[in-house]
Parts: sequence; C-alpha cells; structure tokens
Amino acid sequence: MDNLQELLHGFTIAVTVPHLVLMAIGVLLGILVGVLPGLGAPNGVSLLLPLTFGMQPVSAIILLSSMYWGALFGGSVTSILFNIPGEPSSVATTFDGYPMARDGRPTTALATAFGSAAFGALIGVILITFLASWVAQVALAFGPPEYFAVYFLAFASFVGMGGAAPIKTVVALAIGFAIAAIGIDTVSGSVRLTMGVDELVKGVSFVVAVMGLFGIGELLVAVEEEFHARAVSSKIDWREVFRAVGRLPRHGVALLRSAAIGCWMGITPGGPTAASFMSYGIARRFSRRGRYFGTGEVEGIISPETADHAAGTSALLPMLSLGIPGSATAAVMMGGLMIWGLNPGPMLFVDQKDFVWGLIASMYVGNIVAVALVLLTVPVFAALMRIPFVVIAPLIVIICVVGAYSVSNSYLDVVMMLGFGIVGYLFKKLFYPLAPLVLAIVIGDKAEDAFRQSMLLSKGSLGIFFANKLVTCLIVGGIALLLLPLVLQLARLRRKPAPSADETTVQDAAREKVII
Amino acid sequence: MISRRALELATAVLTGSFGAAVVVSSLDNGIGWSSAGVDAGTFPFLTGIIIVLGSLYNLVRGLVPAASLANVPIAITPLELRRLAGLFVPAAIFVAAIPLLGMYLASASYVFAVLAIPKHQSVLRALAMAVATALALYVVFERMFQVSLPHGALAAALGF
Repeated sequence: MDNLQELLHGFTIAVTVPHLVLMAIGVLLGILVGVLPGLGAPNGVSLLLPLTFGMQPVSAIILLSSMYWGALFGGSVTSILFNIPGEPSSVATTFDGYPMARDGRPTTALATAFGSAAFGALIGVILITFLASWVAQVALAFGPPEYFAVYFLAFASFVGMGGAAPIKTVVALAIGFAIAAIGIDTVSGSVRLTMGVDELVKGVSFVVAVMGLFGIGELLVAVEEEFHARAVSSKIDWREVFRAVGRLPRHGVALLRSAAIGCWMGITPGGPTAASFMSYGIARRFSRRGRYFGTGEVEGIISPETADHAAGTSALLPMLSLGIPGSATAAVMMGGLMIWGLNPGPMLFVDQKDFVWGLIASMYVGNIVAVALVLLTVPVFAALMRIPFVVIAPLIVIICVVGAYSVSNSYLDVVMMLGFGIVGYLFKKLFYPLAPLVLAIVIGDKAEDAFRQSMLLSKGSLGIFFANKLVTCLIVGGIALLLLPLVLQLARLRRKPAPSADETTVQDAAREKVII
Repeated sequence: MISRRALELATAVLTGSFGAAVVVSSLDNGIGWSSAGVDAGTFPFLTGIIIVLGSLYNLVRGLVPAASLANVPIAITPLELRRLAGLFVPAAIFVAAIPLLGMYLASASYVFAVLAIPKHQSVLRALAMAVATALALYVVFERMFQVSLPHGALAAALGF
C-alpha cells in the first residue's frame, strides 16, 4: 500500500490554491485549442512549453497535463455540436454524437460523452497509480540493451497496431529518426546531417516540427473544406446532465471494454485516435443495437469517448516509468521534462517523488476540474465556433510562427516550420501517421544512444539483444509486431483467394478514412 | 486538378530524396565500427536506407494502378487548390517579410491583407484587428514573458 501513501502525499501537492488555479487555466486553454480547428493538444502544449521554463517542474507539468485533458474534452464538444472534430481523436464521436444532438438531445449527448470520458480517464489514472511505480521498479534494472529493446518494441507497435499503412509508418518513423540525428552527435561530438547549414548544428527542435505538422498542416487540411458551423442548440439542461450520467452504469460492459481498449492502446503506443476508432468498431460489432449505430446511439458515444480518454491518460504511464511517450502529446510533454532538467524514466520514481506523485494526484483532480469547466463553458466555446474561419486561420498561422520562433529565437526555425506544414498536409492527405514521426524526433537520440552503448558493451555483436530472457522477449515481441501486418495480409489472401476489386476498394477506403 | 496518384508519387519522391540526402550526408561521419564503437554516421545511414527503400515501395504502389488508389482519382480539386493557395501563399509572404518588417509589422499587415483584400471584413474592422494582433503579441511576449520577437531590418534602419 506504499502507492496509496505516496498518492496521498501527491494530493497535498496537487490540491493547493496555486495548482488548482493552474489546472483551471490549463483546462480552459486546452478546451480552447481543442475547439479551434488547426490547433490541437500537441501544438497547444508545445506553445505553452517555453512559458513554463521559469516554473517548478511539478507546476509546469500540472499546467501542461491539464491542458491535455481540456483539449481532449474540447475536441468532443465540437464533434457533438457542430459535427466538426476539433481533435483527430474525437472523429469517432461525431458518428453518433452529432446525430443525437441534431435530434434535439444535445445535453444528453454532451453529458454522456463527458461522463464516459471521465470514467475512461479515471481507469487510466488508477492504472497509472498502481502500475507505474511497479514498471519503474522493473525498469531500474534495465541496461542499454533492455532500453533499446523497449524502444524497438514501442516503434514496432506503431507499425503493427497503429492502423496506418505499415510502410508509410516505417517511413514516417525513419524520417523522425533522421531529423533527431541532425546536429551535434551526443556520443562522438561530431556534427551530423547539417548539409552545410551552420544554424542546424543546434538540431531541429520537436516544437518546430509539431507546430508545422499539426498546426499549419491541419489548417491546410481544414481550409480545403469550407466550414459550415451550423450548431445545434448549445444550452445545457442541468437536470438532464445528471439523468444522463445516472444512466451510464447501464452500459457498464461497454464502459469497461472501451476503457480496457483505451488503456492498452495508450500504453503500447497506439494513441488515442486509433483507440477510439477501434473501440467504436468493436462496440458496433458486439452491441445488440449495433445496426442502429450512426443514428445517435448512446453506446456509440460511450465507446469512442471512454477509449479516447483512457488512452490519452494511460499514455503518460510509459512516459513516466520508461521514458517512452504513448502519444504525440505525451511526446511533447516528455520533451518538456528533459528541458526542465528531469530525466524521464524509472529514476523519476526514486529522485523526483514529489513530481511524479504530484502529477498523478493532479490527474484525478484535473479531470474533475475539466468535466466541471467544460460543462460550464460549452455555450461560450460554442459561440467561438461562429467566428468565421477566415479570421481564425491567420491568427493560428501567427501563433505557430511566433511559437516556432520563440523556441530558440531563430528565423530558420520559422522557415522550417512552414516546410513541416507542407509535409504535414501531404502526410495527412495521404494517411501517413504523424504521431510516430514526432515520437521519433523526441526519443530518437535516446534510442540511438541505447543501441550504441549496447554495441560498446558487446564489442559489436548483435547477440547482446538475445543475451537474457527479458531482452529476447522484448525483441521477439517487437519483430512479431513488425511482421503482424504482413501476416494479416497473407491470412486475408488465403481466406479469400480472389477478392473482387470492388470489395477491397470499399474496405480500403473505409479503413483509410479511419486511420487519421 | 491533382490526382491522388500524382500526390502519392510526389510525396514518395520527396521522402525518398530526403532519405538519399541523409545517406550521402551520413557517409561523411563514417559508417560501421571503429575503435570508439559504432561510428556517428551509422544510425543515420541506416535510417536513410530505410527511408529510401520505404519511399521506393510507396512509389511503386503509387505507380501500379492498385485498387485502393483508383478509387480516389481526384485528391485535390481546382477549388480546393485555390483555397489552399489562398491560405498558404499569404502565410509564406508573411514569413518572408519578417526579416525586413519585423514580427509586429509583418503580422499586422498579414492580418489586414488577408481580411481586407478579399473583402471578408470592412477595411476599418480589418485595420482594428491588425492593430489588436500586433499589440497582443507585444504585450504577451515582449512585456509578460520577456521574449524578444524580431523587430526587423526596417525598424533597425529607423533606429528602434
């Protein structure tokens, strides 16, 4: 029961007036970026990052993580009221959330979404409370080969379970690694991949990449389709809120199943987006009312929302205990941890107890704050959506430009950010996944160091990755995940010797829609 | 009109040439094994090779009229292209103008131009929003967070 004691200590850190204020600010800013198309949790958090450098790490992480919760909630608001997902992870919520709101039950839809989201987040935090320190304890015994194996497993799981075309995922990952390698090599001190540009010696910051890929890229995708923000009524009927939340336990099976899917996808880096789609798909298959899905079914809202938030929350577990972020936003936060001078990974649980348990406790409180604030502010943020896109778009461009510049006061960063914007647009358009790219930029150096240190230990023999049971299991698991798409493809070919072209196109098109 | 196929090919060529550049550049750092362990260029070299091979695969998949690609012949319609350009071109001009005009003047002109020229807003309202944007940037960054944004060559010439 050590964990509970530590958690109680964490609450004494999290539940103080300054931290509660920070939570409220973070949640409100998060809802704002979640609601605005083109701004999402990853670039919202990276925008805020330079402003946290003067703060205590625990205050800074509370601010950033609260922003994350706010953004997750904010994305669902626009999905339900406007049929416009503010975040990629809330796309699945539009399927049943918007029809229900359009049928005159917006409060029911919103309350169901927030209630199940809070449940998903709660399961995620409970998992972190009981599992994170145990995982960290195991990880304390890790040497470089074990670390490399864990990194390998994380990257392989993107390829095997991310849902995007496997080779496109591999290309995105490798590009991230190459970008991470730009600049001074930490081991040998030599300058790499600068292609003659002196300014690149400092490397390419992940913040610059995130601003371009997620900010400008998303804006370019959004501008293609003209927005018709035809909102359904955004008035909240409080009695209906409690009634809707009271009805949630009837869908206990769906809640638990979706939370389990979410936690699994959050810990093995599949990310909230993949989790919400997977959960929706499984719910439609198993629910007795499956054929009504898409017309405003309660379980069609519960399933993606619970999984989305469970995944978003549990994505912090591997970040804290292993130093491997489970989602793009977690990757940005981990970049922040390193800037604040903390070393993400198992040592946090030994050296930085206040930080870790303050954060975990704040996750319980922060989600309650988020639910309350999001319900109170729905009308305000719904009004925000009526501002024409042509006014919002240039403001978001300016925010991204200033954000990229302020990382290291470099004009080159701004130009690169714009370049990343084009890449982000192309990648989104063609269903290359962006999360692995960001993840590889953030932890590429660490993965490389782990590999090179292992090679030094073994004097150049790859046998070190099969030296003991643990490493072998991790590496074999990683290889299995890498091969999983290939095996599935072969199995599909065997089952249907000659699939008609039409059938595959429809399936492929549906699957591609689901990926991003 | 840009077809999905053309877009796939262009992207594969883009990623592939980046991979090739990484491969060539990492050769300078040395690849393989030396007395100091794995050479600095090895890891980038391998990632470069993976990028090139992956891009080649995507290129071939784009060339072969695979079922999934034939399903979406048009990726970007002319109207969408115009909208894209309408957002990106002004943004690029804005970024290009920063060294000369500085962040404040450039962003104010950008907001004004985007809102007033296509007549989305009246000139007066566009002007007000432009000034408000620059002012907000100044207050938040220069004052509150003590981050100095570029003032530009023009301001320097005028002695600011």
